[in-house]
Amino acid sequence: MDQSLTRNFCIIAHIDHGKSTLADRLIEMTGGMRGDDIREQVLDSMDLERERGITIKAKAIRLGYEAVDGSIYRLNLIDTPGHVDFSYEVSRTLAACEGAVLVIDATQGIQAQTLAHIYVAMERDLEIIPVLNKIDLPGAEPDRVLDEIESVLGYDPQTVVSISAKTGEGVPELVEAIVRCVPAPKGDVQLPLRALIFDSHYDPYKGVMAYIRVVDGHIFKGSNLRLMAQKTEFEVLDTGCFIPEPSSLNQLLAGDVGYIATGLKSIGDCQVGDTVTTASKGAKQVLEGYRPAKPMVFAGIYPTEPGEYDGLRSATEKLSLNDASFSYEPESSPLLGFGFRCGFLGLLHLDIVRERLEREFALSLIVTAPSVRYMITKTSGQTVIVTNPTDLPMPTVIEKLEEPWVSISVVTPSKFIGPLMELVMENEGIYKHTEYLGQQSLGELGQRVKLEYDMPLRSILTTFYDQVKSRSQGYASLDYELQGYRESRLVKLDIMVNELLVDAFSRVVTPNKAHDVGKAMVNKLKEVIPRQLFKIPIQAAIGSKIVARADIPAKRKDVLAKCYGGDVTRKRKLLEKQKEGKKKMKQIGSVEVPKEAFMDVVKLSS
Amino acid sequence: MTNEIALYIHVPFCRSRCNYCSFVSFAGREADIPAYVNALEKELTERVKGENLSSIFLGGGTPSLLSSDQLSRILTTTQKLFNMSKTVEVTLEANPGTVDEPYLTAVRQLGVNRLSLGVQSMDNETLMLLGRTHSTAQASQAVQFARNSGFTNLSLDLMYGIPGQSLATWQDILKKAVQFEPEHLSLYPLSLEDDVPLNSAIRRGETPPIDPDQTAEQYETAEDYLASEDYVHYEISNWAREGFQCRHNMVYWQCLPYLGVGVAAHSYIDGHRQANTHYLDEYIRMFQPGALCHPETDEEIKPETQLAEAIIMGLRLNCGIEFADFKDRFGVDLTSRYGQEIEELTQLGLIETSDQSIRLTRRGRLLGNEVFWRFLPECEDS
Ligand SMILES: Nc1nc2c(ncn2[C@@H]2O[C@H](COP(=O)(O)OP(=O)(O)OP(=O)(O)O)[C@@H](O)[C@H]2O)c(=O)[nH]1
Ligand code: SF4
Ligand SMILES: [Mg+2]
Repeated sequence: MDQSLTRNFCIIAHIDHGKSTLADRLIEMTGGMRGDDIREQVLDSMDLERERGITIKAKAIRLGYEAVDGSIYRLNLIDTPGHVDFSYEVSRTLAACEGAVLVIDATQGIQAQTLAHIYVAMERDLEIIPVLNKIDLPGAEPDRVLDEIESVLGYDPQTVVSISAKTGEGVPELVEAIVRCVPAPKGDVQLPLRALIFDSHYDPYKGVMAYIRVVDGHIFKGSNLRLMAQKTEFEVLDTGCFIPEPSSLNQLLAGDVGYIATGLKSIGDCQVGDTVTTASKGAKQVLEGYRPAKPMVFAGIYPTEPGEYDGLRSATEKLSLNDASFSYEPESSPLLGFGFRCGFLGLLHLDIVRERLEREFALSLIVTAPSVRYMITKTSGQTVIVTNPTDLPMPTVIEKLEEPWVSISVVTPSKFIGPLMELVMENEGIYKHTEYLGQQSLGELGQRVKLEYDMPLRSILTTFYDQVKSRSQGYASLDYELQGYRESRLVKLDIMVNELLVDAFSRVVTPNKAHDVGKAMVNKLKEVIPRQLFKIPIQAAIGSKIVARADIPAKRKDVLAKCYGGDVTRKRKLLEKQKEGKKKMKQIGSVEVPKEAFMDVVKLSS
Repeated sequence: MTNEIALYIHVPFCRSRCNYCSFVSFAGREADIPAYVNALEKELTERVKGENLSSIFLGGGTPSLLSSDQLSRILTTTQKLFNMSKTVEVTLEANPGTVDEPYLTAVRQLGVNRLSLGVQSMDNETLMLLGRTHSTAQASQAVQFARNSGFTNLSLDLMYGIPGQSLATWQDILKKAVQFEPEHLSLYPLSLEDDVPLNSAIRRGETPPIDPDQTAEQYETAEDYLASEDYVHYEISNWAREGFQCRHNMVYWQCLPYLGVGVAAHSYIDGHRQANTHYLDEYIRMFQPGALCHPETDEEIKPETQLAEAIIMGLRLNCGIEFADFKDRFGVDLTSRYGQEIEELTQLGLIETSDQSIRLTRRGRLLGNEVFWRFLPECEDS
């Protein structure tokens, strides 16, 4: 096929603005699937994606489209996730495209990730097609949002395509705009092969399936290829594209987006961002890749039952085959036994990994308080990296402690500037900049603004995001980006349950907050740990100094009343439930702590 | 004494539903009582095979909504079908608002020799909160009627652990109840299923929640007070004058066989526990002459579970379980089989053992579930 008839583009947007729904319409319109086969957000194929209604992993799909000009175009569409934890997925898919459809929800307008994504797309010189979505909704404010798009992003409202991804209105015009505006790929089929790996997943039969964008040259089944950076060589077991199921093709040519089955056993052998070339007479110059996403958030993951450690080990191995941004290394805890210190992109990523491990591998897990990566210079001159709060050295041996900071941007109606400013200050943020978006006011909510701050990453690892939402009545959105390390003075806060230090609850806090955080934690534990046969003291301490305490009184009454009409079975079943419930508890010394307590305490704000 | 069986008859009708009730009972269905009595007779005819009968318990619901004629039919049928000795204990549960002297006299003459009055409280405010339709004055009257009709074995039901009820109010209620000099007292803590109106009121914040500590306090107060009034505490929730223990309920606590007829009634026969349908219409339809009738569920209680149930039920009795008895019945030596559990529970102060027997301590009676679950066999499906 003529390369001039190919269009490679991705759909980018703030979370929930309708990317995956738009993808449904495009698939339907181009006959990629029959209407009946398209369930909502058909590309969100993981159970978790469907349940949570969000896209976690980017997906590439090929569509055939007969345009008004009579030509048949090949559209390679990549749907991307909107959540900030997965921003890196967006930036790498951009590298596989010449164009990006930027979706903006007409009820919400420009949000934090809208801005974050468009800046990256512009840096990469992509042709951007701004789209106003959800115009079918009664709450849509097309005029106001168009004004915002014009004044903030500089697009003439005339050129913005208005659509409803739900009803399909405006989508035919959008596809025409894609065909017209997105440039055709410019690679040379005659040159030595160069293809960029922009994503991958592990298939038990075919090994690592690399999603690639062929820039120059061509690939066919049986080709012997080499990864330029990693120097791994392999034979192409299969090649093709997704429609959305993998569909084999004879070859992929310059300009194509598709997959190759590499037979490689681990995702680590085939890193996203690397360039693929032929094993002999290969290209000399690698393509501009991107740094692999680095975990920013760390937490311990332990089996509730120590006997499940082997199961957890093989599960984490398997999961990491498919998720290069998830890291793990063994660690052990005096109370929780053997487990892993795992790295994640953010709290959503952590939650998703936990849920997948529990669900897909039938495990029951305990997750410890999330932590960032601290860089510590000891008085001895030695530097250590700490990702587990329990490993924080004694203050007396710390010469310098550095922690990661992020720059955050909050987009909000001006009415909430005050409460949000306060929230950021409470969380050790530093104000940088305010920018008004658009000219029109939102009535009593005021005009929309973008606020910029710097903040320790540590501060957003608890309830910060929820609080941004609640203090702005749900209007504000948040985006953040790693900025660098800064020096801090921090201490470790420990929790003792019945005189026993529970390392899973330890966290790092600023000294002036230790009392408040400690109090919140002991009170929360008092609430979530059921009363037991003896009194349980719960204490928060810094070193040997107790900063907060709460006692759980002994349980006095727990007995079944009469059994009506001889229904002993029901009585027994209730007791069986009680017995089963005990098994789901984590034994800490002689205290039974519900698994949920770990999560509940972790979620407390600092 | 061989082959003895106890009979439970469920009467699932009530004038109105109490705010805490999750028993199987229906309000506004009294027109169906005649059809229900027919169905009961049919079920009895189907299921009774001339066993020796030890006791009859008419429970509900409100069995006192049955007319004396209807009661008479049921009891006559029973007499025909079972092998009955003169000394059979026959209990009728009655709601204080539903009985008068002529009725009780008639009932007494039919052979009902034990009356269990659902007094529930001797505090009108509490009765209102519970949604009971009778007053404390009606309760005293009912007691009077019962005595006048010749009932010499009278039991009163009372509830404690009522939201917002102080210890003093409870003591006062107890005292008033004891003044009636009942032969038997059952005290039940209020316990609420999710969907009952009183629980909704608690969730809405209109009524304070049940305070488990206050409930425990009230229980212990009752234990002390009733002991001083010469009542023998013979089961977790039951007290009686010497010799007036409820023989019917002893059957449950000893895991002996019983036949239950009527809606949602349970039976335990030959190691099987059976339950009838919970639906009134279905029950009436099912137990019609000519219809094929059978209990809805039939669960075989495995030997392991039988053991556990015998311990769980047996420990409810204050005399506890005699090691020798247990060995005779199940061929199991409790102390060696459950050595670890017994030791742990003794250390926790929940049970005490002597050379002959094992029983709950005073603390253990309030924390019985913590004792009971430890004797359950491991579940297979986990
Ligand atoms: N009424 C209406 N609802 C829409 C429209 N487009 C999307 N939605 C709804 O908006 C919600 C989010 O849509 P998605 O397509 O999952 O959004 P997304 O951008 O893919 O979300 P993430 O992948 O999580 O970032 C869903 O409930 C859609 O049904 C539209 O044009 N009109
Ligand atoms: S009288 Fe008994 S069975 Fe009837 S509604 Fe009240 S509590 Fe329930
Ligand atoms: Mg999506």
